[in-house]
Amino acid sequence: MKLESESNQLTLKDFPYIVQWKEDRCKRCGQCTSICPVGAIKPSVKMIRTVESEGMLPQPKVRVKAIHIMEQVKDMEHYCTGCAMCQFVCPNEAIEPVYNPQNRFFHFKNTSGEPYRRGGRRNDPNPSTLDRIKFTRISMLTDPALDAGRHEFRIRTYLGRLLQPHDLPLVSAGGRIEIEKKDTFIPPVREIFPVIIGSMSIGALSPPMWEGLAMGVAYLNEVEGIPVVMATGEGGVPSRLLKSRYLKYFILQIASGYFGWDEIIHSLPYMVEDPAAIEIKYGQGAKPGDGGLLMAQKVIKLIAKIRGVPEGVDLASPPTHQTKYSIEEAVAKMIQSMSMAFGFRVPVYPKISGTKTALAVLNNLARNPYAGALAIDGEDGGTGAAYNVSLDKMGHPIASNIRDCYLELVKQGKQNELPLIAGGGIGKKGNLAANTAALIMLGASAVQVGKYIMQATAGCLGDELNRCNICNTGKCPRGIATQDPKLYRRLDSEKVAERLVEVFRSCDVELKKIFAPLGRSTELPIGMSDALGSDDAHMAERLGIAYVC
Amino acid sequence: MYAKKLELLNEQIGILEWLDEKTAIIKGNTGKERISSRLLEEQIQKAVSEGARNLEIYADGQHGIGGILWPRGETIEIMVYGPVGQRCGSMGMFGTEILINGCASDDVGWLNCGAKITVLGDVGNGAFNAAAQGILYVQGSGGARCDTLTKHNPRFDPPQSWYLRDVGDSFAEFKAGGISVVCGVNPRNPDSVLGYRPCVGMVGGIIYFRGDIQGFSEKDVRLLDISESDWTWLKENMIPFLSAIDRLDLYNELSSNLEEWKKLVPFTPEERRAKRHFSLSITEFRKRQWEKEVGEGGIFAEYIDHERWSVIPYIVTGELRRFKPVWSNEKYDPPCAYACPTHIPTHKRARLLREGKINEALELMLMYSPIPEVVCGEICPNLCMDACTRARHDLPINVETLVKIKKEITLPKPQKPTGKKVAIIGGGPAGMSAAWQLALKGHETHLYESSDRLGGKIDQCIPKERLSIHVLYKELNRFKEIGVGLHLDTYVDGELFKDIYKNNDAIIIACGAHKPRRLEFPGSEHTITAYKFLKMINQGKKPDLTGKKILVIGAGNVGMDVASEAYVYGAEEVVAIDIQKPAAFGKELEIARKKGVKIIWPKNIERFDNVEGKVYFSDGSSIEAQIVIVSIGDMPVLDFIPFFIHSENGWIKVNEFYQTSDHKVYAIGDVTGLGLVTHAIGHGKIVADYVHDRLIAKPYSFTKKGVIPYKRIKKEYYDFSRIEMNDPSKEAERCLSCGMCRNCHICETTCHWGAIKRIEHSDGSFEYTVDDERCIACGFCVEVCPCGVWEMRQN
Repeated sequence: MKLESESNQLTLKDFPYIVQWKEDRCKRCGQCTSICPVGAIKPSVKMIRTVESEGMLPQPKVRVKAIHIMEQVKDMEHYCTGCAMCQFVCPNEAIEPVYNPQNRFFHFKNTSGEPYRRGGRRNDPNPSTLDRIKFTRISMLTDPALDAGRHEFRIRTYLGRLLQPHDLPLVSAGGRIEIEKKDTFIPPVREIFPVIIGSMSIGALSPPMWEGLAMGVAYLNEVEGIPVVMATGEGGVPSRLLKSRYLKYFILQIASGYFGWDEIIHSLPYMVEDPAAIEIKYGQGAKPGDGGLLMAQKVIKLIAKIRGVPEGVDLASPPTHQTKYSIEEAVAKMIQSMSMAFGFRVPVYPKISGTKTALAVLNNLARNPYAGALAIDGEDGGTGAAYNVSLDKMGHPIASNIRDCYLELVKQGKQNELPLIAGGGIGKKGNLAANTAALIMLGASAVQVGKYIMQATAGCLGDELNRCNICNTGKCPRGIATQDPKLYRRLDSEKVAERLVEVFRSCDVELKKIFAPLGRSTELPIGMSDALGSDDAHMAERLGIAYVC
Repeated sequence: MYAKKLELLNEQIGILEWLDEKTAIIKGNTGKERISSRLLEEQIQKAVSEGARNLEIYADGQHGIGGILWPRGETIEIMVYGPVGQRCGSMGMFGTEILINGCASDDVGWLNCGAKITVLGDVGNGAFNAAAQGILYVQGSGGARCDTLTKHNPRFDPPQSWYLRDVGDSFAEFKAGGISVVCGVNPRNPDSVLGYRPCVGMVGGIIYFRGDIQGFSEKDVRLLDISESDWTWLKENMIPFLSAIDRLDLYNELSSNLEEWKKLVPFTPEERRAKRHFSLSITEFRKRQWEKEVGEGGIFAEYIDHERWSVIPYIVTGELRRFKPVWSNEKYDPPCAYACPTHIPTHKRARLLREGKINEALELMLMYSPIPEVVCGEICPNLCMDACTRARHDLPINVETLVKIKKEITLPKPQKPTGKKVAIIGGGPAGMSAAWQLALKGHETHLYESSDRLGGKIDQCIPKERLSIHVLYKELNRFKEIGVGLHLDTYVDGELFKDIYKNNDAIIIACGAHKPRRLEFPGSEHTITAYKFLKMINQGKKPDLTGKKILVIGAGNVGMDVASEAYVYGAEEVVAIDIQKPAAFGKELEIARKKGVKIIWPKNIERFDNVEGKVYFSDGSSIEAQIVIVSIGDMPVLDFIPFFIHSENGWIKVNEFYQTSDHKVYAIGDVTGLGLVTHAIGHGKIVADYVHDRLIAKPYSFTKKGVIPYKRIKKEYYDFSRIEMNDPSKEAERCLSCGMCRNCHICETTCHWGAIKRIEHSDGSFEYTVDDERCIACGFCVEVCPCGVWEMRQN
């Protein structure tokens, strides 16, 4: 029999996380192995053989005993993801995974020639551009300083194209301003909170996660009076929601897979409210040029029904829309169709991934009166499933991308017309409001946030040291990104909703804390870049903000 | 009178004028010019330090009048006339009593530390801001942001502020203590006597008010009716207020109806924490609004079948587990049984020996083979030992030791007769195996053998050195007792086969391969075959090979037997050649090597010159050899079989159950292709099982088990064996019992949750079971089982 070469076996040092286990604290209850989502640890038997010599002469005495230990599995199919669920359930603090900076994970995570796929976002634990931007213009005695705790603020933005006053068909009649009945198209506009919950599909997210967010959004609007909207992602929307009056808080996404859209169209006659907007997805910051993908293990009954597909098949949204061959055609055609579907009452905007070519898209949209906004998703955006190479190496950071677009609009005098929505990496280090404010001051009218929301509302474990990040496998230990009831029933929708409310209330306060010293309380400081500074001279120069040190 | 006094004062040169030793007049304007706030303050301080306790101040907009005086227990009364500047009475101390005859500007009583300030008019913005002690009485209204940041230092009484009319916007922001009273008499803003958005950030103190209000900071304070004690306090303290502002006439109106008054009090820290600012709990929202709108069970209710709003814990039992352990005893074969062509369960034999059941151990063997000691103990290359898990630890279980039990056993008892007849052609190991099994199953079995002895090639061709005659005869004799009809010296030709075919329910051809294959080359007529050579020796004819050099063509195991025997009979040198990599292995090779055989390959023979005594090869080389023995295998003799039994390249074609192209004719052993003796025995067992099931019209059910992976056996429980054992029962103890429970209770003992129980059945068998309601599927039982019996399956 041929021996298996030991040269091709991996060493523990090759793995990204090394499980530290304390024998003296462990009571062998097995909760850690029971919870481990990937089977990275297992009980094992080890022989201990000791030789002792008692007395004044060499008199060897052998003691042999077999003991039970906890062992890390040295197998790429069962690598420890560092999720630390073992540590979470251990009653004795006997086990924890420790990040191993020496790991050579990517050298080996390609078994069967299958490149590494995962969820999460770009693995770069360094502070992002957004986190290196500070707000350096603090009015104390120079301007009327506002007090975030005392003054009233309106943290609101507009979703939809705004016409200049002179473009509006207004007439003065009997001392009042009225809209003249003409054929002029007045684009639909929504007043919303400037932080949008970014597209995360039903399918990517579990039912309790998605509904928890949806319920939280409804609560924020109806109880808290914070007009937060949430994008559905492409993956169908349950008809119960489509037919409810809560639909107005949701941006319906259409992507290249068109999953669930037949059901949405069937619901059209029964809708009592229009959706907040329609987002046409052309790209995703996390995986530019790589399409959407829902792995077969997540396509169970529920998802199959909502999306209108058979169970247990991989669902790909191709990286391109199949029936469009140029910017002009692609954008115009889709925006027309979607506007028409909702009687031109709903803002329609495309979402692209951050790219050097964003200006070309922007210029196209600027000329299209039906375009409601442009959303750009930067390279630090998250995803439920993508090739690691797309996640780590593809894409464009959002900061300079949004800045270039804004300045281009300024050049054209249209900076207040076409809202820019920025996404990708907002809240990466937990600074949701600060990152949002930075992007607004660089020129965004709103931001869209996904990953942070999952982390903050449901304890998503993923981070930029590749902790967990197994959303693609359907084994999410938190029950967020899985369709397995045995996993997702761990998650409480109400708790998710509650956390969402807390997150937005707190974000609202933090935004006030940032805007108050700038003297802004009623209008967002969009493009107010003189308030920004960076301790990196090149970054400051590129973004056209102050270099401070 | 005031104007007159002022006129008088204006005529004076000085700004400080003493009326008596305790009374001084201080002017803020010399008549020619306004004096600065600094100079006025210096005059006030000077007057007080020189004994003035009554001050009349004629202000002209000076800042901070009446603050920071040190009366040292005495009272200083200050009457202020004229336009009062900002922060009148600011930082005022206990004992300071200020009466402002008219309206006051902003911040009156700012940071008050005990002064009593009465304003006979309105106060501007920010009155009483940050006041910590003292009193403010206002005859009119307050401006914006009055009573903000007031404190209550527990060393002193709380500060009090009274406003007769109303107050402006942003009242009492960040109020941390003190009592504010807004009486709401003839308010300037009748819609809200507390202005717009009072009490933001208020954490302490209390506000009594009378009249309408339009909202307040609900996250900070709550609106309550006043209590009896509040009412008592209000009525009592209202009198000095009203008398100070000279409006006692209003007392009855203000104190007549408790219900006109309300109060605002901040939430306590405990209440704040408890509230977490959720005015409506999410659960309530879900029930009252969400589900009302989208339907019961939420938006996904139509698609899911489990209870929607419940939550399950991380560690679960029963149906909620993702996996579950299963005691899969003997689900897999151990490597030994799996590797054995006869499928002999060595692990079971070892268990019986460990349990001291020696008879049972021997009987078990006879269920698989009629000649176990010959095969397992003598001539078999023991594929089982190569596969043994223990071989991956120290040394394999020594099967030869295990079979050598010095004990005779009783013959197994055949089943009751089935009435079916089976003929077996050939009395070698294959035929004997099939006959043995079928006889045990109760069939009438007839065995036809062309020679006068049983055993076939075991008897004819295996050197006696490798097989003890004693053992062979012992087992052959045992075979004869089982009741097989023996037809020795019966050569089955075409005619006889026809008869046999007609008169039997099944025919098993096991005639072996007895026609040596030959090579044609110049001089090949002078060679002899290995078959002939070995058979001759085993028949007792001893060749004299003294001093001869011998070449064996074909370096397989038979070639090695030939070489060994040649040495036994005096050969000087034996060389074995092969045209490919020699196939010899095991004991045959070992013995021949010891004796000195040389193996050369690749060599292709060209000619043999028997006169010269030399063999020439195609590569131009040659070797000396007087005798050349061809050992390139044997072929079956198939002249007796009818045309409807197909053969291919000289071998009978069979399917996986050794069935030929005729449904009642089977073929096993070397007649289907050359193999080891153990293969032949295995064929016999399989074909017998199959034929039996067919004859009794039972569907054939045997499926070969998979083999248990080595990694599932926990060798770590066993120490290294340091000596070789020769004792069967000791050897049996070394067996790891792969895939078969050794009943050690490790699983039961290890399970932290007490979920594993051992259940004993009435027939003496046992099983280990799992209590699903206790098991969390941790996998301990699976991973610590010494035998790899437990398996984890999807739940």
